[in-house]
Amino acid sequence: MYSLIIVLGLAAAAVFLTGFGRGFRNAIVEYRNNVPEPTDVPDFNYVGVAAISVVASGVVIALAGVNPMLIYLGPLLALCTAAGIGIAFFVEKPVV
Amino acid sequence: MDKSIFAQMPSLTPTLGFASMIGLGLFLLVLSFGVKTLLVRNTHDFIIADRRVGFGFGVGSVIAVWTWAMAVMMSSAMTYKWGLSGLFWFVVPNGFAVIAMIPFARVLRKNMPEGYTISEFIQYRFQQSKVATGIVTITMVFGIILEILINLKGTSVVISTVFGIDWKTATVVGITCVMAYSYFGGLWTSVMTGTLNTLMVTVPAAIVVAAVYDKMPGGVQAVFDAVGNAGTQNLSVLRPDAAAGFGITLAFGLLAATVSDQTFWQKVWAIKSRDVGRTFLWAGALFYPIPICLGMLGLVGIATGLAPSDIGGDIAAIGPYVVSHIGLSLTLVILYVLVILAACYSTIDGASSALSSIVAVDVVRRYFPDTPESRLFAITKLSVLLGGIVATAIVLSGVDFTTLVLTTYALKTAILLPLVLAILWPKTNTIGFVGGIVCAILIGMPIYETVGELVGTLSIVAIGGIVVFTAGMIGTESFNISDLRNISDEVKPAVGAE
Repeated sequence: MYSLIIVLGLAAAAVFLTGFGRGFRNAIVEYRNNVPEPTDVPDFNYVGVAAISVVASGVVIALAGVNPMLIYLGPLLALCTAAGIGIAFFVEKPVV
Repeated sequence: MDKSIFAQMPSLTPTLGFASMIGLGLFLLVLSFGVKTLLVRNTHDFIIADRRVGFGFGVGSVIAVWTWAMAVMMSSAMTYKWGLSGLFWFVVPNGFAVIAMIPFARVLRKNMPEGYTISEFIQYRFQQSKVATGIVTITMVFGIILEILINLKGTSVVISTVFGIDWKTATVVGITCVMAYSYFGGLWTSVMTGTLNTLMVTVPAAIVVAAVYDKMPGGVQAVFDAVGNAGTQNLSVLRPDAAAGFGITLAFGLLAATVSDQTFWQKVWAIKSRDVGRTFLWAGALFYPIPICLGMLGLVGIATGLAPSDIGGDIAAIGPYVVSHIGLSLTLVILYVLVILAACYSTIDGASSALSSIVAVDVVRRYFPDTPESRLFAITKLSVLLGGIVATAIVLSGVDFTTLVLTTYALKTAILLPLVLAILWPKTNTIGFVGGIVCAILIGMPIYETVGELVGTLSIVAIGGIVVFTAGMIGTESFNISDLRNISDEVKPAVGAE
């Protein structure tokens, strides 16, 4: 499991850094173009996803007390956090 | 399995400790120079990043400022003390506190698009009331000082424990490293370095925790069995004493820590308006695995029968002790130290950036509106250093800062419901807002001191809310929040005026 987490960790770091580079470039391009940003705040239904994430956090912790292998869920999900931030850079749409 | 598996590592020298602190600081300094050159021209860019922080940097930076160095250690400590119930009550409200910002962030971003600080909102919400804005501004400043102080103190203790460096030296070196790069670039620097630091608190943390379990005789199964043998409640998330002992109090405290914190409000106005809602959603959800991962170190402490006296008396040291004494390679121990340093640096620079926005908008622009942009910019940049200097002085003085902690806690908790109602309920009036906060402190804090934390916290929150609600129902005013759209940008220079 340790070796797997190292491999997955390197992959997550690669996603993160690729995304970070994209975000950095976007920030500079937008700054130089100086196109006004939209000011609308779109409607956004977040309650369902919010509830799922809050409940899921508790479930993950509880599962660590059910099966010892599920103790590794924490570290594995931490890698998902790194990858998730990297993905967020690809989800954003720069104003150019 | 017992604590005889732990042993001091002789190779953790002071030189390595300094190299870690300064090395990370230098790397971030290089990045901040680039940021300053490419993205910052004026005070507006410095304190609000021209409101162009995108989704990726938004998510990364919100996670970064919420992942305190103490949180990195306290997740392990709460698990060590209460078992999985401790981790449950520490973690679940933590992520929720970030997600809970969403409705308030959306309302204010939509209706006050040119805002900078929450104190500014209060100023316009309550007809320029000096008392209302004064209370909120002071609360924000106290909160920022405390944020810096706690992270600085926690990190200096860890560095001194692991590397044998004098804790005062570790304090000064650490804060110097952060202030050196925070000074350049303002919020853009904080956002980008903070985002990079989230890489440090995720991937290395996961690798180190996995390495610890790999090192344990019998692996994860043996740890699991030993934790269960040490107490059947250790593997349960349903311990009622964990909820009553700290969980519920912490939950309210955490809610107050985000909603009543300029560090988060600055992000609300800096992130692109269309991304504000989903940024806090993703940040809250993606934050969860960090303390869950690190909390698993606490189970190792239980399994091996470590006593608080074995680890220096402070259970916050359980994570650093396990990692530095279980026989991991030097590289992995340094990685763990970098996790803590990354959490510390990113929180301190985020708080310092928030302080600069308060100084620029709530002090200089409010009381000295004719200050030219060049002087405002200079003052704003210098103010980044102010919080660090004050916090360092408090830490180095050795004074017990419990009073500061309690005062800030009281202010933030007392402000929580009045602030929420000020944003969401049109009938909230100035008397109710100010009265609610004052009554919550004057009545609630004595209850907190005499009856206990849980009843005291609930009392503070309830009193604040009841007074605001009562005053609102009695009063006849009704505020139209969309009136805030008429507020012009107080800091951005006019085109051609730079």
